[in-house]
Amino acid sequence: MVTIDLSQVSVREGNEQIRAAGAEGHDIEVLNPDARHHIGVGLIHPVTVTVRGSAGYFLGGLSDKANFVVERNVGWGLGDNMYNGSVVVGGNAGAIAGVAIRGAEIVVKGNVGSRAGQVMKKGTLLCAGNANFMAGYMMYGGRIIILGDSGERLGEDMSGGEIFLGGPLNSLGSDATLTDAEQAEIDDIRAFLDRYEIPFKGSFQKVVNAGKKLRYGTSETPVRSIPYFTFSGQSDYWNQKVQEDVYIKSQIGRYRVRGYGGARAVPHLTDIAFRKDITAASIGDNPVDDVEMKTLIGGINGAKPLTLTMPVMIAPMSYGALSRSAKQAIAIASGMAGIAENTGEGGMSDAQRDAAKQLIFQMLGGRLGWNIHDMNRADGLEIYISQGAKPGFGGQLMAKKVTKELAEIRGIPAGIDLRSPSRHPDILGADDLVIKIEELREATGYRLPVSVKLGAGRIRDDIKIAVKDGFDFVELDGMQGSTGAGGAEVMEYVGIPTLSAICEAERALASIGRRQDIEIVLMGGIRDGVDAVKGLALGADAIALGTSAIIAGGCIACMQCHVGQCVTGIATQDPEHEKRYKAKVEAQHIYTFLESVRWQIAAITKALGHKDVKQLSRDDLVALTPEAAEITGLPYEPDRRNVDLFQAAG
Amino acid sequence: MCGIAGILFKHMDIDRDTGKALIDMLDGCQHRGPDSTGFALYGDDHPGEIKMRFYVGTGNEAGDAIGRLREVFAEQGAELVDDERIGSAYRAVVKFSGDLQKFSYAVEHAAKVMSIGESLEIVKDIGTAHDVDDGYDIHHFRGTHGLGHVRLATESDVKPEAGHPFWATGFSDVAIVHNGQITNYWKMRRRLERRGFEFVTDNDSELIAVYLADKMSQGIPLKEALRTSIDDMDGTFSFLVSTKDEIGYAKDHLAAKPMIMFENDDLIAIASEEVSLNRLFPGKALDTREPPPGSYNTWSRST
Repeated sequence: MVTIDLSQVSVREGNEQIRAAGAEGHDIEVLNPDARHHIGVGLIHPVTVTVRGSAGYFLGGLSDKANFVVERNVGWGLGDNMYNGSVVVGGNAGAIAGVAIRGAEIVVKGNVGSRAGQVMKKGTLLCAGNANFMAGYMMYGGRIIILGDSGERLGEDMSGGEIFLGGPLNSLGSDATLTDAEQAEIDDIRAFLDRYEIPFKGSFQKVVNAGKKLRYGTSETPVRSIPYFTFSGQSDYWNQKVQEDVYIKSQIGRYRVRGYGGARAVPHLTDIAFRKDITAASIGDNPVDDVEMKTLIGGINGAKPLTLTMPVMIAPMSYGALSRSAKQAIAIASGMAGIAENTGEGGMSDAQRDAAKQLIFQMLGGRLGWNIHDMNRADGLEIYISQGAKPGFGGQLMAKKVTKELAEIRGIPAGIDLRSPSRHPDILGADDLVIKIEELREATGYRLPVSVKLGAGRIRDDIKIAVKDGFDFVELDGMQGSTGAGGAEVMEYVGIPTLSAICEAERALASIGRRQDIEIVLMGGIRDGVDAVKGLALGADAIALGTSAIIAGGCIACMQCHVGQCVTGIATQDPEHEKRYKAKVEAQHIYTFLESVRWQIAAITKALGHKDVKQLSRDDLVALTPEAAEITGLPYEPDRRNVDLFQAAG
Repeated sequence: MCGIAGILFKHMDIDRDTGKALIDMLDGCQHRGPDSTGFALYGDDHPGEIKMRFYVGTGNEAGDAIGRLREVFAEQGAELVDDERIGSAYRAVVKFSGDLQKFSYAVEHAAKVMSIGESLEIVKDIGTAHDVDDGYDIHHFRGTHGLGHVRLATESDVKPEAGHPFWATGFSDVAIVHNGQITNYWKMRRRLERRGFEFVTDNDSELIAVYLADKMSQGIPLKEALRTSIDDMDGTFSFLVSTKDEIGYAKDHLAAKPMIMFENDDLIAIASEEVSLNRLFPGKALDTREPPPGSYNTWSRST
């Protein structure tokens, strides 16, 4: 037994000692916890941690196999994301007890706060006292047992799993229904109660999902889609596309869902240009050798930074939206180019991890595929708040793509139209967010950069929160970014342009004198090296490419990503379709494209008279339109429209 | 975006370490808001006297503001008993027996009012609980009850006057600390403005304070005002309110903002996180309670 006294050491030191003791197989006793947060997070060994008193937020979070015993109370997020293992709490638990668990047994002898078991996937959460508002909210699987009062709206928006209620039912949530419990289920609960020595002789009611909201009622009529390039940038009044939308909606009675990004013309990087006439600049035979492009991202607070051979990353795209093969191709290409890849929502595959030399692991509100083991093998951790194509919305993965294998990785029922939560269970404000960031850092020993993905909305406020909460970098995503599936109107009319996003972010950080305290990776419709240089000159520390990377790898921009029958094998989970995708071949194409980006960045940087990409600045830019000038504050020089840059840089 | 704390010693003993207790509680949850820290403290009161605190800054503008204030005091028939400059604040004790609401609107035009009351004094500034204590000597403050707040500034600037607690402008001795946001702010504010109330800031917390104080001035008990506030305010909120003799809380129906409380024969303490409550009782596991969604309550000091 190892004893750790938190009146003598910090939680950070305490957790290091807990992990070290666990690795050697010793049980641990924690004295004077005094409701401190993050006790035991990241522990992955089968030892017992006994907390003599009360613990704060995320007790035992992001752990596997360990057993925790807390003598009195715990705060929010008890056992967050636990795989196997157990927690027994002698007193009460705060909100979201058992959030996102994936197999653990969690026993609370007193009451639990609101939203107990939110987005849980597997395992058992037992509340011997009363539950509170919306227990079982958005749960995907597993079992909740409540011996006391249910609280209001039990099982709100649950899509899987079971809730057994021993006490009075206050009210049922949306899409939850009462059903009969089988004797075998009751016997199993009795055995569970006996095992944890909880006396209860009453009977149980069972609550499950009613199945009314798991899928869209009517599917879209199949039509030959209008190519993206036909309708994008056109009038948005009565064109062919608008007509088609009206027709489809007359059949299905709801908004349309499609893949790809917004098509409405809004000011973009094409509306700014380089101040200097570089058409005649001499760039030599190989500008790549003459320009320093190496970029470190994520190290400003002491974590090990991502080391990029050029200021470019791959934008987050999920295995789920994309096929395993497509993710593998992108990962291989990113490794060849010496840049970082990103998992997006939905977990990390071995193929992707093996292929990518540097991989950022993204955490979303549904905690789909999120777990401590993949965190430990990531090179960066990212909290997704929103994305440029559909700020304020969660991911959408239509039933066709939610295969058995994919559902297993994500811990959800197969074959549902997955509408991921738009909010995190434990991030309801900047104050909660700071505790969440700390949990990720504690769990991984402060080794990894922690970033935030922000879809551009109220950037001047959001970026201040990002820096004050201590993120290492932000992935800032404008509305020209694409998505695997989103409401069509949302993509066109929600969000703000990438150009506005970076300029607002820069201004907001300058206004509080904190620009040096965070790094910005800009994305959202960045197509090539020319756009990349403009983004860097506007202030970004690096840029990220999503759509252009998948187009380089064979995407034909049909916008049917959400359907799941992608003819190229990119945006599908159907093995027959995926077979068409030759990951190694496409990886070479993506890599070759990335090298063209590298050459363009180097050539333009050199032509502008710089030796290092870090020397790029707003002084290198002018605005070509009044709108772009207004947004960026750059000088308005419409005459520069006539310069054929592609000829110059090609 | 913040952390809140409140404490009330139940027995009418003015000689309690309220200042130190609030510093400890706020230090425990400083991670929730590193930008600014504030205290609402209820000390000894003297019949016929009111205490006033203003934000005047630290440069030459402070002297000008104090000059203007002294003129307004004279115009309004308030007799200055005592005054001093502390940090960026100006504290004045006056004898006044007229219409307090009218008086407070008048002084507001001379300088930024932080609080007015027979026993209430609000102290708030940029920095941590310990920073503010260093500047304003909070830990020596003794009294029966008080509130505290740590703030992470998001939508508004990091300025001392934008911090919490908020005084219910125009109403003696009412203060509030709030975690969350009121989404029908402008609607509620316009409703109150039409009835002649003035607002000093655009902060939603001030609105809650004025809303509650208005109800109380109509003879509605604080507890009843808290009950109606939960239905009248939209948004996510957990807030604490204090008057000369009471503290109370309200929490919205969605329970999105944390709150936890500990009560024994001697005191009631409420905070955003248990770690703050535990600062009052190091090494001891507390029998705490989390208030349910949509709940409210009040506690009085016994007289």
